[in-house]
Amino acid sequence: MQASLITFIRILRSHDVRVSPAETLDAVAALQLLGYADRDRLRTGLTASLAKTSREQHIVETCFDRYFGQRDADFSGKDDNDDADDTDSAGSAAAGPESPPQDSGAADDGERELLESAAETHDSVRELLQSALMQGLMNNERAQLSAALRRAGSASGVADIQMFTQKGLYVRSILQAMGEEQLRSAVIDLERDEHPALDSIRRYRDILRSQVRDYVDGQYLLHAEGRNSQFMDDILSKTRLSHIERHYMDRVQRLVEKMARRLASRHSSRRRPVRRGQLDMRKTLRAGVPTDGILFRTHWRRRRRDKAQVLALCDVSGSVAAYAKFLLIFLYSLQDILPRMRSFAFSHHLGEISELFETHPVERAVELANWQYGGATDYGGSLRDFARLALNDINRQTSVIILGDARNNRGDPELEIMQSLYQRSKQVIWLNPESRQAWGTGDSEMLRYLSACHFAAECNSLRQLERVIDQLLRSTR
Amino acid sequence: MNRQALPQFESIEAIRHGFDALGYICSDRIATTVFLAFQLGKPVLVEGPPGVGKTELAKTASALLSLPLIRLQCYEGLDEAKALYEWKYGKQLLYTQILKEKLGDLLQGADDLAAAVERLHAFGDIFYSEAFLEPRPLLTAMQQEEGAILLIDEIDKADYEFESLLLEVLSDFQVSIPEIGTVRARSRPMVFLTSNNTREISDALKRRCLHLYIPFPSLELEERIVQSRVPGIDDALRRQLVAFVHSLRELDLRKTPAISETIDWARSLLLLHADALDAQLVRDSLGTLLKFEQDIEAAQAELGSLLDISAGRH
Repeated sequence: MQASLITFIRILRSHDVRVSPAETLDAVAALQLLGYADRDRLRTGLTASLAKTSREQHIVETCFDRYFGQRDADFSGKDDNDDADDTDSAGSAAAGPESPPQDSGAADDGERELLESAAETHDSVRELLQSALMQGLMNNERAQLSAALRRAGSASGVADIQMFTQKGLYVRSILQAMGEEQLRSAVIDLERDEHPALDSIRRYRDILRSQVRDYVDGQYLLHAEGRNSQFMDDILSKTRLSHIERHYMDRVQRLVEKMARRLASRHSSRRRPVRRGQLDMRKTLRAGVPTDGILFRTHWRRRRRDKAQVLALCDVSGSVAAYAKFLLIFLYSLQDILPRMRSFAFSHHLGEISELFETHPVERAVELANWQYGGATDYGGSLRDFARLALNDINRQTSVIILGDARNNRGDPELEIMQSLYQRSKQVIWLNPESRQAWGTGDSEMLRYLSACHFAAECNSLRQLERVIDQLLRSTR
Repeated sequence: MNRQALPQFESIEAIRHGFDALGYICSDRIATTVFLAFQLGKPVLVEGPPGVGKTELAKTASALLSLPLIRLQCYEGLDEAKALYEWKYGKQLLYTQILKEKLGDLLQGADDLAAAVERLHAFGDIFYSEAFLEPRPLLTAMQQEEGAILLIDEIDKADYEFESLLLEVLSDFQVSIPEIGTVRARSRPMVFLTSNNTREISDALKRRCLHLYIPFPSLELEERIVQSRVPGIDDALRRQLVAFVHSLRELDLRKTPAISETIDWARSLLLLHADALDAQLVRDSLGTLLKFEQDIEAAQAELGSLLDISAGRH
């Protein structure tokens, strides 16, 4: 049982639940206390010791039902459809009461006679009828067949399944291990002279196949699904943003939000006491005790207000359209985290979109920002707009982030404004989706702007973005 | 406390029955988690919307075990001097004064300075000893001979740094006091932490706890809760009012009414001698259920259909 608990925890990890070894020990202890008799109770106990949020609670419960809830496969062939549903929504299936064993699937006497008459003329059928598999199928011995199925399953290594394309392979090898070959050859023999027993043998074959398929489907969901989505996230976060297909937008959006959440928890605002402030009477008195009550050493208490402010400017022009959408989503999530953040969008002119972000859901906000400020790029004009809107608010605690390719269509770059930003602010950060080699080529003003940046980086995948922002947040703290 | 010797907590059923008898109707999940927490000696982090009985859970556990409940209400700026321990400064100062007068007598007969200092050393660190220690909730909980129930309420309201302070207390049940040394719990207290999720609790703290999420109860559970808390109320009215609250929860409200509000409402209906819900009665008493003007307006607009639903559910 401990081994299966370890497997269960491995599955949880692949579904993005972080389980530490200490928690594994807790789960083992809970298991020993609760025993295996009451499944619901065990489920609750494992959930309590393994999940840390209500989101994880849901995942643990779903996985528990899929993993421990594998009920005996039903070989009667009667409620085939129900069973297929169960595999998909294992959560509801395991909660419900087990359906009472049905023996309607067992062969009736007429069928038996038919088969036995076929056995007299065909060797293959005779052999088949003697096999344990066929006996099990005819008598609908679910427990025995399920056990055989699981044995064959673990022998075939189905727990290592990774891709859905492998399903067929595992189905075949499990069928073979269970002795489906005899069934098949019997069917071929009977087909030759169209024997009346053909239909019932075919029926048994189909029941067996569909049960094995369901089993493999369930195993795939359990073992591969989480791993695959982790793999997918990994790939997406490394891909250049412009190359991600629309099809994956939803996933990327989730990924961006997850990233922002992670950054938020890592950098949630902290306050530190500074050197001087209000007199801390208690500490001062305490320090005065050794000096006979004379307040020799004073202690001060004041909490510094964290006033770091971030201003983010995002280029939404045509040349960076592929990136802009992601960056806007990111700014949107970031604005949720950073209390004093203002967002701006620009192409030929610039405007503040903080309020837009606050009042609309993310997709609508991104659409509106693109629509209102999209067009051909004019960095000079946009910087002038920015200076008018926000230059007076920039001080030593302000970080300015600019997201754009610095391609100015050969207009006036207004380097002076950039320089005054540079002088007034704590830091100016430029994130450019183009690779470093392309900076300064053609109409790119990047190299000139570079002189007025504290930090500039190439940023075209989610991973790079996260790294840069992490750095930024660390310094704004 | 000796964990095997307490019959109230020896099985999940025992806990459920004990809680039931004290008027705390709990789901199987709650009972199982409390049982595990008790047997494994781990703290429970209880999360859920306000008013579902998180704090009540600790109070009931304390009543069931007849152990003292020691409560630490968290707030912004809570520090170790208020949570853990503090020195009695006034007493220390006073003793210094007394000591000064006695100093001459004590040092009589000492030949030189070295001998005087030697003699003073013999007295040890009298000012930083247990006699001058003022225990705060966390330390108090650990000093109980028989064990205690420690309730750390609304941990999400405390600062991030405070969580780190709790780590030592919650995993090893000990406190390090620099002047004295490590104080170990005489018997492990049972710890409940509650959180309303206004911010994320750090992973380190979560890892040391069992996690329990208490959602709004199901219809049947809530009816049983109301029955146990407001025994005088008529069966039909109880069913109707619980169904009404359930349909209210499906509206988009600023503050969803919780169990405590359902109980308050049931009590006020009892006071008003109501025997069935009608539009006028609900309109007049809606203030007990909903706490924001805009929520009340939203509910009043839907009142007719809400009442139909709650009547139709039974």
